[in-house]
Amino acid sequence: MSSALQWINRAGAWGVKYGKVLFASRFLPVIGTLATLVIMLIFGQIRYSGRMGYSFVSLPVLTALLQNNAYLIVLAIGMTFVILSGGIDLSVGAVVALTTVVIARLLPVGVPLGITLIIAVLVGTAMGLLIGVMVQSFGIQPFIASLAVLFLARGLSNVIGVDENGVVRSLAIVHEGFAKLASWSIKFGEGRAIWRINASVLIAIAVLIIAYLVLHHTRFGRTVYGIGQGDNGMAAGLMGLNPERSKIAIYMISGTCAGIAGVLFALFMQTGFCQHGIGMELDAIAAVVIGGTLLAGGSGFVLGSAAGVLVYGLIFVFIPREGLDATWSRIFMGVILLLFVLLQRAITVRGEKRSAGHGAKKPQLASKKASIDEGHRDNRTEVNDE
Amino acid sequence: MSQLDPTSRQSVKAPNFVIQVFTHRLFWPVVGLILLWVACGIALPGSDTAPGFWSITMMDGHLFGQIIDILRAAAPILLLALGMCLVIATGGIDLSVGAVMALSSSVSLSYLISSPTRETLPTVLIAIGLGLLTGLVVGLFNGTMVARLKIQPFIATLIIMVAGRGVAFAFTGGRIESVVSPPFKFLGSGFVLSLPTQVVIVTIVAAIVMISVRMSALGVLVESIGVNRQASFLAGVPASSILMLVYGLCGLLAGLAGMIYVAPTMATNANAIGLMLELDAILCVVLGGTALSGGKFYLSGTVVGALLVATLPKAVIYFGFPMQITPLFKGLVILIICIAQSQTLRDQFARRSLRRSVALAEGSPS
Amino acid sequence: MVGIPGHTPPHLPHPFDLEGVLSAVDQTTEIVTVTGASISFPGVRALDGVDFRLFPGEIHSLMGENGAGKSTLIKALTGVYQLDSGTVEIAGEQVRFTSPVQAQAAGISTVYQELNLISNLTVAENVMLGHEPKRGPLIRTRAMREAATEHLERLHLRIDPASMLGSHMIGVQQLCAIARATAVQAKVLILDEPTSSLDKTEVDALFSVMRDLKAQGVAIIFISHFLDQVYEIADRITVLRNGKLVGEWETTQLPKFQLISHMVGKTADELAAIAGEAAAGERVTQDAEPLAQAIGLGRRGMIEPFDLDTYPGEIVGLAGLLGSGRTEVARLLYGLERPDHGTLTVRGRQVRRFAPRHSLRRQVAYSTEDRKVEGVVGDLTVRENILLALQARRGPFKPIGKKEADELVNKFMTSLDITPANPDLPIKNLSGGNQQKVLLARWLAISPALLLLDEPLRGIDVGTKAEIQRIIADLARQGMSVVFISSELEEVLRISHRIAIMRDRRKIGEEVNSQTLTSSKIFETIASSQELR
Repeated sequence: MSSALQWINRAGAWGVKYGKVLFASRFLPVIGTLATLVIMLIFGQIRYSGRMGYSFVSLPVLTALLQNNAYLIVLAIGMTFVILSGGIDLSVGAVVALTTVVIARLLPVGVPLGITLIIAVLVGTAMGLLIGVMVQSFGIQPFIASLAVLFLARGLSNVIGVDENGVVRSLAIVHEGFAKLASWSIKFGEGRAIWRINASVLIAIAVLIIAYLVLHHTRFGRTVYGIGQGDNGMAAGLMGLNPERSKIAIYMISGTCAGIAGVLFALFMQTGFCQHGIGMELDAIAAVVIGGTLLAGGSGFVLGSAAGVLVYGLIFVFIPREGLDATWSRIFMGVILLLFVLLQRAITVRGEKRSAGHGAKKPQLASKKASIDEGHRDNRTEVNDE
Repeated sequence: MSQLDPTSRQSVKAPNFVIQVFTHRLFWPVVGLILLWVACGIALPGSDTAPGFWSITMMDGHLFGQIIDILRAAAPILLLALGMCLVIATGGIDLSVGAVMALSSSVSLSYLISSPTRETLPTVLIAIGLGLLTGLVVGLFNGTMVARLKIQPFIATLIIMVAGRGVAFAFTGGRIESVVSPPFKFLGSGFVLSLPTQVVIVTIVAAIVMISVRMSALGVLVESIGVNRQASFLAGVPASSILMLVYGLCGLLAGLAGMIYVAPTMATNANAIGLMLELDAILCVVLGGTALSGGKFYLSGTVVGALLVATLPKAVIYFGFPMQITPLFKGLVILIICIAQSQTLRDQFARRSLRRSVALAEGSPS
Repeated sequence: MVGIPGHTPPHLPHPFDLEGVLSAVDQTTEIVTVTGASISFPGVRALDGVDFRLFPGEIHSLMGENGAGKSTLIKALTGVYQLDSGTVEIAGEQVRFTSPVQAQAAGISTVYQELNLISNLTVAENVMLGHEPKRGPLIRTRAMREAATEHLERLHLRIDPASMLGSHMIGVQQLCAIARATAVQAKVLILDEPTSSLDKTEVDALFSVMRDLKAQGVAIIFISHFLDQVYEIADRITVLRNGKLVGEWETTQLPKFQLISHMVGKTADELAAIAGEAAAGERVTQDAEPLAQAIGLGRRGMIEPFDLDTYPGEIVGLAGLLGSGRTEVARLLYGLERPDHGTLTVRGRQVRRFAPRHSLRRQVAYSTEDRKVEGVVGDLTVRENILLALQARRGPFKPIGKKEADELVNKFMTSLDITPANPDLPIKNLSGGNQQKVLLARWLAISPALLLLDEPLRGIDVGTKAEIQRIIADLARQGMSVVFISSELEEVLRISHRIAIMRDRRKIGEEVNSQTLTSSKIFETIASSQELR
């Protein structure tokens, strides 16, 4: 009897200890995302399972979900870096298109597969570098800089993505090695319960792990959060980090991820087409936001973004199963986005209230912006009334 | 407290005229537009058989010509950009305008399709009214999200951007339908005072917006919100009402733009109407010299920006390039103008000219 | 001195050396020598040929008014700013840092005045940033947290190192910044206003750490506005004024009053003259109706319920330390936030709507303490800034006529002597003092009945200070009711008719200002009530 009580006590203490950490406001949005994911899976399980031993929550369904969304996971990871730093990258969809087109044009002329894929990824890196330089060296807002690169990449893929007659069309990627890579997978299970992990999923998971390590176990990761706190990296710079170079690196990471996503998308579609990936940047941004990252920067996790992608992917699984038109998925997408935005807002308001109660009055968003503007526009004010 | 350096004060007070022109916000956009149009004129000199870029002909009392075509193409973009400019001035952004175009035109055309009296003027007016109302409602929704719930404008308007087209599709039942209604079509292909209807409408709307914003104190209050929302709030500026007004106006104008956009074809195609036009609108505003971070805004610059953006795709054709390189061309132009306008270069220029004027002052004994 | 390359031998006394300085501190060679340092910003000469030296094992206080160049000198030492001319030597070797990283590598560790930490990282991540324990290329989280805990312990700070820095109070964050600076084996430790948000025990902990470090031979530059702290801890004092060096003294040989007169650049007589200018002690008849009356007004987490009334023609001063609730009182009186307790009556009518625009209709104006964030609208012109509140009260569709606007702007530009006298310059181009005058004009333009001034004199030079004080006194004489807040108790005493004393977010007393009321008496009130608790 007493030991049971003790056990309950201990469990309670454990719950309080870790509950506190888990429900600290910075984890709440991610918990919201994971909870949504679980609820959706339960919903699917209840609604679609049962017939002839079919289970919705099963490895075949889940790995298929991963396979279909691997490129978006990689894209969302790159976007997470950018958004954490308070920026935005609108170019990634166009970069995906450019990458697929580059692959489709390079392989037929005899460039080895490995080199082709590396070049394809590096094209993405270069696009990111371009944005980074514009943002960092010329002080152009990320929105506009990445918009310019969106048009550039789209235009380039239009120019490259033509067949031998100069006609713009979807180019089939016909290459033995590439096809092999696309169809390669590790098979698990037997019969009905068969499930596979293909190269895309492995790459996406590898990118996720690397991104996690970089973000939370390197100084660069700290710099990303530091830039995102809203002072344009000033504090990070004073603490001995290098926000200038890091900013460029952040966009290069996003570009590289877009390049990798482009390769995965090419593997998925088996075509190179300049019209690929239109609006994909919005999918990535939406997934990141659903994944609990604040668009204002400074708060969020890559793992959340991956979960966000899965929530996103599940909507596209549910809608046709419910017999609804594909356009409904967009409406649902909007509704889910709305709910998450409201949830995040509620959490921030709670946080503000609490810190106000603490007496730790910190200027909030609006003022944050104002102070950056003042800060980098004009040293004079600072000198005069420091 | 340190005294202001007399030389710097002088340069603040009476800057060199040349510098004033060069550093004026409108300088680069106007130069860009002129250069582009001159280049177009050279690329399309015109001959006996084909009219040139600059030639405008009168036919049946209607004006025709490349310039008129550009004005026609600029009309819906400018409508979006005017509203967008005010939104951006408050430090916000409205990504939903493209989707609003699709939505408002779908609502409007659906009503026409369902109405048996679709060819009469009253019905068409109701249809237009419904379209405008749709735009206004969406605008006010965005405004509520931004002003009352204090959600970041980017994400608040992203919701409609994502969902709006879906709703429009649901409205038209997912079909692409077209409808015949001469009064409605007049919006898109009629002529008033020899000019295309939409050009006239947009000119009037732009004039009203520009005059009312600057005649009233709305402009200054919008700018003050964009520069420092907190200070404005403390100074008693009714920030949320103004934000509601601005987002509402932006939605309303987007609704009108949607109607003008579909009028020539009269077909409901929620997937294509206004696609990516929000980006074009933002581009017009930025090319016009208004910073995306908010504050000072320039509606006249936005007009120049709209003309620039509307000229680009046509210029590609005049220059004899394949049409698909348009985005590339657009990207390059944005790149060049943004870098030319960038604060970094501006500062460098100002520093150099300051140094020069200091050197002059020191060189000439007074 | 300017531009002489190389090393100034330590045995050669500087021109400003006072006798006995060298013997006081145990030094062999200077660890930091700055010679003829000059830095200009557009329109401002922030540092003008400043010499400065620092010896190992000493605590050296850098003193000066706001804008004297202290922070600029610090930033020049740490590579944030580059010198236009002059040299910096570290341990006899000339250096030219172009980034804070290099300064850190050279053994200079800094806590900047504006808290420069990353609030969305954890405490441990902040404390250990830049010197984390690593395995390969990756940081070891647990080891990092343990090390951070150790550094925090030295400052008697026991907080969860895995908690977010931003979730802690400013004072704790300040301690974290200090822990961070002391975590590295620095040769030079620079503390720029480290104590501004610390309470007494925290300051004591900091000072004991500073003494430890000093004993280990670390050279410490200590900047503080609190004279008592400077006299408690500093060995030597260097005074700057308007970007120029005034002199260097041993602390024990520099009486406080003399220090102040060096800092403000005025003799004792001049200081006394300024003090006499304002009309203090004029008793206002209180038989009139109170203009504003707060009864049991309060808001949880903000301020305890308080009573306060203000009368036309009267200046009420709020005295208290930073964080005592002064600002909160003003914000509640302004109606900025909805009180959850008590009532506020303005001119006989109970206030029910709480937002600035309603306050303006009540003719209540509030000039904020945070001029930069909550006051100036930087990109707008001086004219637009002056007219902003008046325009806001009228609403966007009733613009102020050009003639009326010109008249108002001209009136305030001349009466407040705003320079440069061009109303069409962006306000951000003006100096802090002139920005403050523009903000004052903004509020005067709505002809307020009650004017709440929160730190209107902060960061303003002495001349302008006296001028603004005179203006405030004039306004009261004309029948305006004024609430005046300042962290400088002397200023409150000089100008107020009545003084409310604040402590720990509650009003603890109220005194009529008379000749017998002195700052020490007010301090006693604050201190004694502390003991009562």
